[in-house]
Amino acid sequence: MFFIEINQNFGEHTRLLAPFIGIITIVWLFFIYYSHKKYGTKKTIIYFLPIIIATLFIESAGVASGRYYYSGYIIYLSVVGGAVPLIIILAWSVNLFLCMNMGKHFISKIYQKRNYLQIIFISITAGLFGVCLDLLEDPIAHYNSWWIWEASLNGIKFFEVPILNFIGWFVLIFFMSIATLLIERSRFSENRKVLLSITSISITGTIIFVIHGLIVRLFEFTGLS
Amino acid sequence: MEKTVIQFILENIMLFLPVGITGIVVTVILFFISKRENIHESEDLKSDFITLFNIRLNIYVLVYLFIWIIIIIIGLSSNFIIPTIIGGIIAAIPLILMTLIELRTKNSKVL
Repeated sequence: MFFIEINQNFGEHTRLLAPFIGIITIVWLFFIYYSHKKYGTKKTIIYFLPIIIATLFIESAGVASGRYYYSGYIIYLSVVGGAVPLIIILAWSVNLFLCMNMGKHFISKIYQKRNYLQIIFISITAGLFGVCLDLLEDPIAHYNSWWIWEASLNGIKFFEVPILNFIGWFVLIFFMSIATLLIERSRFSENRKVLLSITSISITGTIIFVIHGLIVRLFEFTGLS
Repeated sequence: MEKTVIQFILENIMLFLPVGITGIVVTVILFFISKRENIHESEDLKSDFITLFNIRLNIYVLVYLFIWIIIIIIGLSSNFIIPTIIGGIIAAIPLILMTLIELRTKNSKVL
């Protein structure tokens, strides 16, 4: 069920893939170092591991469903039949860590109370910031074949990228931020937080799939997809 | 033919169901058996700033700016001009908002 594949034809059918992989690697290493230095090992695991596991399943299911595919990367992972580049999974952990922390800074300036409402505000901001970045990144990625959306996909598109992709980005970052912040701010021991952050992926993942599925249905019902 | 991710999951429900249920049950058990500690944690957001040339900069904004610049350079050098400009403007919104909120807080502190 789980396999690792090594591709020896790096960059085939793609353009400028090396700089893209380069920036993700640099930023990911920097964030791991920074998070470890500021928060310690356990919190770094809470911030990075759940999103890595969740997106491994989501991306693998996305590829296996035939909506998009990745070519030209070196290391591929697969859990449910779709091969996903390792660097894409790491990029998701960068997205979450970056957008969630920007959301924290932004919301803490306008709403200081540390309560559930603040968690919702931070998560909405993180989701919106993530979508803003993806509106730049995804069309360029598709154009340079870093990942390729099937041309037969219907619905509204933003430079060949289905609009449902951006909604997916928002839903994923929003719910993963909520889960991460709830665990981070809980009063459990650090070890228990690590354990909960991993096991709770099943709950967060189910919510993400249900909400995204409902939005897809709504789009189909209204003829937008 | 392509399917939605939901269709894919429903077709492979025998794979996802045991994994999902196990995760949910373990989370619920852990949630109820875990002791709550009485520690008050506050967040230190001030340490996320660095000073460069006498300018106080947020580390996350700097990283976002770095990604933004590199992606724009890649977009422009691959001759994908219009989408890069439009995407670049939209992706600049978080940068603008973060800068504005920082300036607003700075000014209100001075006042």
